[in-house]
Amino acid sequence: MASEHLPSEFDVVILGTGLVESVVAAACSRVGQRVLHLDRRSYYAGKWASFTFNGLLSWIEEQNKIPAIEEHDWSSQLEEGEDLIALSTREVSQVTNLQVFNYTSQSEKSRKRISYAELLKEGRRFNIDLVSKLLYSRGSLIDLLIKSNVSRYAEFKNVTRILTCRHGNIEQVPCSRSDVFSSRLLSVVEKRMLMRFLTSCLDQDTPLHYQDFAERPYLEFLQHHKLSENLQHFLLHSISMATPDTPTATALMATRHFLQCLGRYGNTPFLFPLYGLGEIPQCFCRMCAVFGGIYCLRHSVHALVVDKGSSRCKAVIDSQGQRISCSHVVLEEGCFTQNATPTRCVSRAVLITDGSVLPSEAEQQVSIVTIPSESPVRLVELCPSSMTCIPGTHLVHLTCQSLGSAFQDLSPVVTRLFRTPDSDHHEPRPEVLWCLYFNMSEGLGSEVSELPANVSICLGPDGSLGHDGAIAQAELIFQKILPGEDFCPPAPVPEDVLYRGEESEVSSSHQGEDPETSASHQGEELDGSPSHQGEEPEANPACQGEESENSPSHQGEEPDASSSPCGEESGVSPSPCGEESETSPSHRGEESETSPAPSGEESETSPAPSGEESETSPAPSGEESETSPAQLEDGTQG
Amino acid sequence: MAIRELKVCLLGDTGVGKSSIVCRFVQDHFDHNISPTIGASFLTKTVPFGHELHKFLIWDTAGQERFHSLAPMYYRGSAAAVIVYDITKLDSFQTLKKWVKELKEHGPEDIVVAIAGNKNDLGDIREVPMKEAKEFAESIAAIFIETSARNAVNVEELFQKISKQIPPLQNPEVESNESFKLTQQPPPSTRRCC
Repeated sequence: MASEHLPSEFDVVILGTGLVESVVAAACSRVGQRVLHLDRRSYYAGKWASFTFNGLLSWIEEQNKIPAIEEHDWSSQLEEGEDLIALSTREVSQVTNLQVFNYTSQSEKSRKRISYAELLKEGRRFNIDLVSKLLYSRGSLIDLLIKSNVSRYAEFKNVTRILTCRHGNIEQVPCSRSDVFSSRLLSVVEKRMLMRFLTSCLDQDTPLHYQDFAERPYLEFLQHHKLSENLQHFLLHSISMATPDTPTATALMATRHFLQCLGRYGNTPFLFPLYGLGEIPQCFCRMCAVFGGIYCLRHSVHALVVDKGSSRCKAVIDSQGQRISCSHVVLEEGCFTQNATPTRCVSRAVLITDGSVLPSEAEQQVSIVTIPSESPVRLVELCPSSMTCIPGTHLVHLTCQSLGSAFQDLSPVVTRLFRTPDSDHHEPRPEVLWCLYFNMSEGLGSEVSELPANVSICLGPDGSLGHDGAIAQAELIFQKILPGEDFCPPAPVPEDVLYRGEESEVSSSHQGEDPETSASHQGEELDGSPSHQGEEPEANPACQGEESENSPSHQGEEPDASSSPCGEESGVSPSPCGEESETSPSHRGEESETSPAPSGEESETSPAPSGEESETSPAPSGEESETSPAQLEDGTQG
Repeated sequence: MAIRELKVCLLGDTGVGKSSIVCRFVQDHFDHNISPTIGASFLTKTVPFGHELHKFLIWDTAGQERFHSLAPMYYRGSAAAVIVYDITKLDSFQTLKKWVKELKEHGPEDIVVAIAGNKNDLGDIREVPMKEAKEFAESIAAIFIETSARNAVNVEELFQKISKQIPPLQNPEVESNESFKLTQQPPPSTRRCC
């Protein structure tokens, strides 16, 4: 652990280890750029971090401290024709209204409760995220994880329940076919109506006629379709996760995304990473390091050195005063104190409770609860097997767009759905052992008017549920740095990596030109999915394995088949439309008629999200599950 | 035979021979100018043990240890950790305690710890007495072994010792946490409850 000096020359210097920065780091390093990745903090992931309980307490303490401003004069480092842009030497605090309530100490007589001492003692088994998001099973983050093979570093759990709060009760939202089937909240007529509505949402050939409503509130559209109040609630709040006045076009798009995500991994559209969201940036950092990126926490950039002639940043001065030359700089937001004002804020609450909001036989549930309100609240409840809390507890994250302080926005929900000393209801609800409220800025206003063209700024997490914004941003920054380069091509499979041998995958893949991977990659883009399936078994096994794991485009297409509520994959079959076909044969006829056309189209063009491939869909998934384990074995032997 | 995947993470200062040990173990090869961590997210080797096959997934630090910046995710789910020091560098032995502490903080609770004194082919410039190292290992209930990746001494033995310490497989029902890795194909469909 001897302290060393950093090398003084890199291609890309990145400050901050949030998700966007980490994806950019991995992408650059993967195609052979020399990356220096720094974070001024002692932990990874910045605002995306997750903490142990004790770690969270230290973080809270840190937020309340006002760090001293360090003054440095780095002008001696400048050469002729250079300018200096100073960065803020301390973190611009983007967290406000921090409030902690500890309800563990007031001991009750009869109930066995977890004490504060236990929380501290077992603190390391908590992984508490600052940001509460989920991964859409067909979102761009999942696609990127799979494409790049970064997914090897993480494990996931399905979100098992979609719940909503209605009339003060927590109810399970039927969204998959089997849910709808077994729901006790819906009448037979409602079930049929819901099925028909969901199916037509995904049907491209007989689309819903919403043009008259496109800009009008979604609620009006639902009412126009004569959907019952039950269904309106589910469709509006839980499936489209909209507000009553969200425009119909927007809400329907969200609904479609939701439905397309069903059934890829589970009965709900969402996944959650084991050990918390904070793992994801770390996984991308590891990928960066594996390809030679250099990591240094507790280390910052104090200034940018700008060439007056070209107005490009040619070097940075780090927190030790070392000048490090580079061709590109990527910075987290909040590096410039001047005029940095939060534009929008998210209100957050984190609770440790002693039970689930909706106890069930299967104890280990991961649930998302949508709670309609002026600013809709999203509640994610994590069970111990998600490795984020200790047995006997649940970890609950609440999030909404801020209207007031986090406490003002969220404490009414907390006292209603849980028991705290402030609760006045007598319903059997889980007790809150400990809770934290805070507001977090959702992006800062323009920090500085003009930055050199080769300096990019990454925004922090937004308030949305998914990660599409962050991934899109990372890809944009990457394209700006390396136009035309492949974004996170698949890393070689462990079995293929040899330490020595110039022709081995190691050296070639380093350039991002691993013949195998790039070939297969291309193959996918050209091949349409139907013919592709036919070819796959013959292909070279190693190549094939890569393909089945990595291909982005492939993924884009083929899953659609299974994603659609018509896909009959897996016994669970969470697809609404199977049922639809039972209930309305006429409709089904329509579908099978149209099916050949779209799939033909697809093979030439690109992902056509279509529910029409019900015939083709079982093939790809069945085939892949057969071929890829075989590939793994081949790899080990060879 | 049932295959059991065991994640093993390597710890220790830069240059003590972590990657050389893996390289020797996995590919039975030694390279003086190894530029190790490039491109290797982890390496695997499967060895029989009793009635099981142990498939070691060996994670290297990828250089993130160099500036004390290992991420907690590195330790997640590890069955064992090998902390490596260089018997010819006292410094590398003295930092062992830091690595043990870091492991206690971030690693799983039931992790098997092994301490490997590498470069034992360079006995004539030894700085760390074997006795001292052995006593330290005993004090933290760790496996102890001196290895030479260069001469292929005790590398397989190191992993055999680890295999022996791995607790027998629990009831698989309990083990399956219904968590999964992402691959192209969906995970085995979960049992239906009705």
